[in-house]
Amino acid sequence: MLAQAPHPISAVESLPLVRIEGLNKWFGAIHVLKNIDLTVRPGARIVVCGPSGSGKSTLIRCINGLEPFQRGTIQLEAITLGNDARDTARARRQTGMVFQSFNLFPHLTVLANCTLALRRVLLKSAREAEEIAMHHLTVVRIPEKARSYPAQLSGGQQQRVAIARALCLNPRIMLFDEPTSALDPEMIKEVLDVMIALAGSGMTMVCVTHEMGFAREVADEIVFMDEGRVVEHSSSKDFFSRAAHPRARLFLDTILSH
Amino acid sequence: MSMLDILFGILQGLGTTAEVTAYALVFAVPFAIVFGVAQFLTVGMTRFLVTAVIEFWRSSAVVVLLFVFYYVLPVLGVTLSAMTVSALVLGLNTGGYASQAVRAGLQSLPAGQREAGMALGLSRPAILLLIELPQALVAMSPTFVNNLIQLVKATSLVSLVTLTDMTFRAKEISQTEYDPVAIYSALLLAFFLVCYPIALAGRWLEVRVNPEKGLSRGI
Amino acid sequence: MGFDFHFALASIPTIIGAIGATLLATVLSCIGASAIGFMFEMIRRGGGALGFAVRFLIDFIRSTPVLAWLYFLYFVLPVYGIRLSAMTVGILGLSLYYSGYLAEVFKAGIDAIPKGQQEAARALSLSPRDTVIFVIAPQMLRNIAAPLGNYLVSILKATPYLAVLAVPEMLGRAFDIASETYRYAEPLTVAGILFLALALLVAYSVKRIEQRLLAPGRR
Repeated sequence: MLAQAPHPISAVESLPLVRIEGLNKWFGAIHVLKNIDLTVRPGARIVVCGPSGSGKSTLIRCINGLEPFQRGTIQLEAITLGNDARDTARARRQTGMVFQSFNLFPHLTVLANCTLALRRVLLKSAREAEEIAMHHLTVVRIPEKARSYPAQLSGGQQQRVAIARALCLNPRIMLFDEPTSALDPEMIKEVLDVMIALAGSGMTMVCVTHEMGFAREVADEIVFMDEGRVVEHSSSKDFFSRAAHPRARLFLDTILSH
Repeated sequence: MSMLDILFGILQGLGTTAEVTAYALVFAVPFAIVFGVAQFLTVGMTRFLVTAVIEFWRSSAVVVLLFVFYYVLPVLGVTLSAMTVSALVLGLNTGGYASQAVRAGLQSLPAGQREAGMALGLSRPAILLLIELPQALVAMSPTFVNNLIQLVKATSLVSLVTLTDMTFRAKEISQTEYDPVAIYSALLLAFFLVCYPIALAGRWLEVRVNPEKGLSRGI
Repeated sequence: MGFDFHFALASIPTIIGAIGATLLATVLSCIGASAIGFMFEMIRRGGGALGFAVRFLIDFIRSTPVLAWLYFLYFVLPVYGIRLSAMTVGILGLSLYYSGYLAEVFKAGIDAIPKGQQEAARALSLSPRDTVIFVIAPQMLRNIAAPLGNYLVSILKATPYLAVLAVPEMLGRAFDIASETYRYAEPLTVAGILFLALALLVAYSVKRIEQRLLAPGRR
C-alpha cells in the first residue's frame, strides 16, 4: 500500500486545494469545456480520462493558467485565476506541470533545466539551486545524467527529468498531461514508477492518462470526460466496478480489452 | 519634372532591363539544369570538376565578375558586346545558384521513384527526364522564382558597363535634373513595380507546390 | 596589348592592402543588418498597423536592388543635411538591404522553436523577459547560425558594390590602379581572384564554426 499522506486530511478537508466551478471554454466557435465542476482536496490523486478530444488536456491546462477560459471560476487555495495576470502567475507558481512531449530545453543540460526556474523565479543561489535539483533528480532516479543534454537521454529519462524539473519549484499540486503517451512501451513503466512513488509521498496529483493500470493502482478518484463534460466522477473503486455512464463503460471496455 | 515624369523616364530603361534578363536566362537555365544534374549524377573527380565550375560562378562576387569579363575578354582577343558579356556573367551567376536548387530537388526525391522507374524497365536517362527532373523542377519552382528576382535586381549592374537600363536612366536624368529624392525614389519604385508581382507569383506558386508549408514567403 | 602577368602580380599587394576596408564593411554591415532585421521581425511579430508597415517595407526592400539603395542613400541623405562618409553610407546601405533578408532568417529561427518550449517556460513561471533570454534566444541563435553564416558570405560578396561610391575597398583599389595605368584587365582579375578566395575561405570557416556549434550532444 501507499505511504500515508503527510497532510492530515481531516484538518484541511474543508479547504479544497483547487475548486473549479461552472468552467466553460471555447476555441473560437468550438465549445471545448462545458460547465465543469471539480474539487481537488489536498493529497488527492485524480486521474482524468476519456476519449481524445474530450477536453481533458484543456481542463488541466486551465488549472495552471496555460489556457484562458471564458466563463466560470478556478480557485487555487485562496487565489482566483483568470482575472488578474499577477494572480494567475501566483497560482502557477504553486503548480507543477508535466507535458506529453516533455518540453525540456534542448540547449540546457539536465541540471540547468532544473535549476533555471529555481534561480530565476525563486532567486536561489547557484549552489542551493543545484542541491535542490540534484535532490529531485535523485528522487526520479537519474542523478547520473545531470550533466547530459536532453537529446542524449531516452524518452523515459527525459520525462523523468521533466518531472524533477517541475518538482524543483516545490509545487502544491502536480499536473500531468498524458505523460506516457509519447513514450515507447518499454519506457512507460519507469515513468509510472516515479509517479507512483510521488503519489506515495502525498503529492496532490491530477493526471490525464490512458494508463488504466496506473489509475487502478494509484488514483483515489477518477474523472471521466466526454465531449467537454465531466460525465462520471467517482472513487476509483466504484469507477472500475460499476461505472454508471454508458460512454464510460464503453471506454473502459475498449481500454481494458487491450 | 514631376515625380511621375521621372518615373516614366526611368521606365524607358525597362526594355534594356528586360532584354538583359531574358538574354541572361538563355545562359542561366541550361547551366542550372546541366550542372545541377551533373552534380547529382557524377562522383569522384568528375563531380569535383563540376562542383568547381559551379562554385566559380556562384561564389564569385558578381560585381567583380562583370568587370573582370568586361575588361579581360578583349585583352584575350574575345570581343563581345556589353549586352552579351552582361547576360553571360549575370546568367551564369544566377545559373550557379539555381543549379544548387536543381541538385537539392533531385536529391530530396525518395529513392523509390527511381526504383519504380527501373522496375518498369526505363533507362537511366529516361528515368531522369520523365520521372526525376519534372518532380524536382516543380518542387523547386519557388526557389527559381527567387533566383529570377535576384537576377532582375542584379541587372542594375549593367548600368556600370554603359547599358542604358533603368539604373542608367536614373543617373542620366540626375545629370540634367537636380532632384535626387524624386529620382532615386522613382528608381526604387520602378524596380519594385517589376519585382513585386514576380514575388507574389512566387508565393502563389509556393502555396500550390508546397501546401503544408503554407505562407512561407517569396522574394 | 596582352595580359601582363608581372603587372598583375605587382598589383596584388596594393589590392590586398584594401582587404581591411572590405572586411570592416562586411562585418559592420552584417551586424547592422542583423540588428535592423531583428528589430523589423519583432515589430512585424507585434502586428497592428506598424507591423503591417514593416511587413510591406521588408517586401519593398527585397524587391529592389542594393545598387539602387546605395545611390538613394548616397544622394538623398545630403539633401536632408546628413553628410556621411562614403564608407558609412555603404555600410548603411548594405545593412538596410540585407535586413530585409535577415528579418526572414529571424522569423524562421523563432518559428522553428516548438510551442511547447514557451509553454514549459510559462509553466515554470519564468518571466517573459527570462523566457526570451534563457529559452528562446539561445535556441533561435542555434537555428539561425547556418543562414546567418550564408548571409555573411553574401554581404562579403556585395561589398565591391561600394566601389561605385568610391569606397577604398578591394575593387575600388583595383580601379584606382586601372585608372592610373590605363590597364584594367590585370588589377580587376586580381580583385576577382581575391574576392573568390576570400568568399570561399569565409564560407569554409563559417561551416567549421557551425559544425562546432552544433556538435553532437549539444543538440
